[in-house]
Amino acid sequence: MDSQRLFRFPLLRFPNTQSAKSAAIYVAGALYAIGFWSMVDASIFSKTVNASVVHVTFVDWIPFICSTLGTLIVNMIDKKQLLSADSFGSGSIRWQARLVLFIGCTLLAVGMSGSALLVILKYVVKGYTSMPTLGMALENIYATGSITLSCIILWVVQNVEEDYNYSLAL
Amino acid sequence: MSTMFKLNPLSKLIFLSILIAIGFLNIILSCALFDNWLPLIDVGIFLIAPLPNALAQSLSSAYEADFLSDSNPEAAVKEFLEYLTGFLVISGLIFPVVLFHNHLISHWSLVLSISGGFIIYLSIVLFIVGFKEEADDYDF
Repeated sequence: MDSQRLFRFPLLRFPNTQSAKSAAIYVAGALYAIGFWSMVDASIFSKTVNASVVHVTFVDWIPFICSTLGTLIVNMIDKKQLLSADSFGSGSIRWQARLVLFIGCTLLAVGMSGSALLVILKYVVKGYTSMPTLGMALENIYATGSITLSCIILWVVQNVEEDYNYSLAL
Repeated sequence: MSTMFKLNPLSKLIFLSILIAIGFLNIILSCALFDNWLPLIDVGIFLIAPLPNALAQSLSSAYEADFLSDSNPEAAVKEFLEYLTGFLVISGLIFPVVLFHNHLISHWSLVLSISGGFIIYLSIVLFIVGFKEEADDYDF
């Protein structure tokens, strides 16, 4: 593992113990919870204390749904299929894994950019830039951002675990 | 941490029952003082929050035999259950904040429901840790 580094300094040396991995997974779940409840908060806010004419509708949930689907798809791929070198006739399954990973990453990116698009088109362009109204839009950005961060943490943790299993098997 | 639980089992039991009673007292106060029973949902979230990790514990003890095998689907299930634990605990902490932000509960109700829910969760986790057979590290 150490002989195949790209950079000279080992900048990204993650802690490799089981409890550190569990802690990272808890943090990922916590980040997803923050994203989810931020969206729910925006919806409840729109129903209760919202004094403006803008309301959270199904359109506001689409970036959140895209990010969630992307997280699901990216983290359901078996990482061994992606990283394995050429085995017997595993070329097609590796190609499928890469395609599915591409779809998942695209969904994540669509979620992130969709929330920014929504904020610009629904709030900023129409002039609703005062704070309690714009808060609903900002919560949308927080939601997709924290879900994407949660997905990144999960991905890194699962990739670290490959090395862990390897060293354990030795 | 392990020295803390070298207590008499009876005193442990009494301590935990007092703790869980304080938790429920806080939650019921947060609802009843303001005649607004929305924070009671928080009890439900914190009651199901220890369940995924309990499942993961039993799973890992059942599959201990083939831990070193190549394909271990139970590791993926265990990771998912840990993810779910993080989600549920933070949900229980955030839910009263969401209610408070939308002016559905007052700020004393917020404080009481968060502290009460967390005490209930803590006492359940301490019960699981304190009455485990073998001394193993069980975080959260």
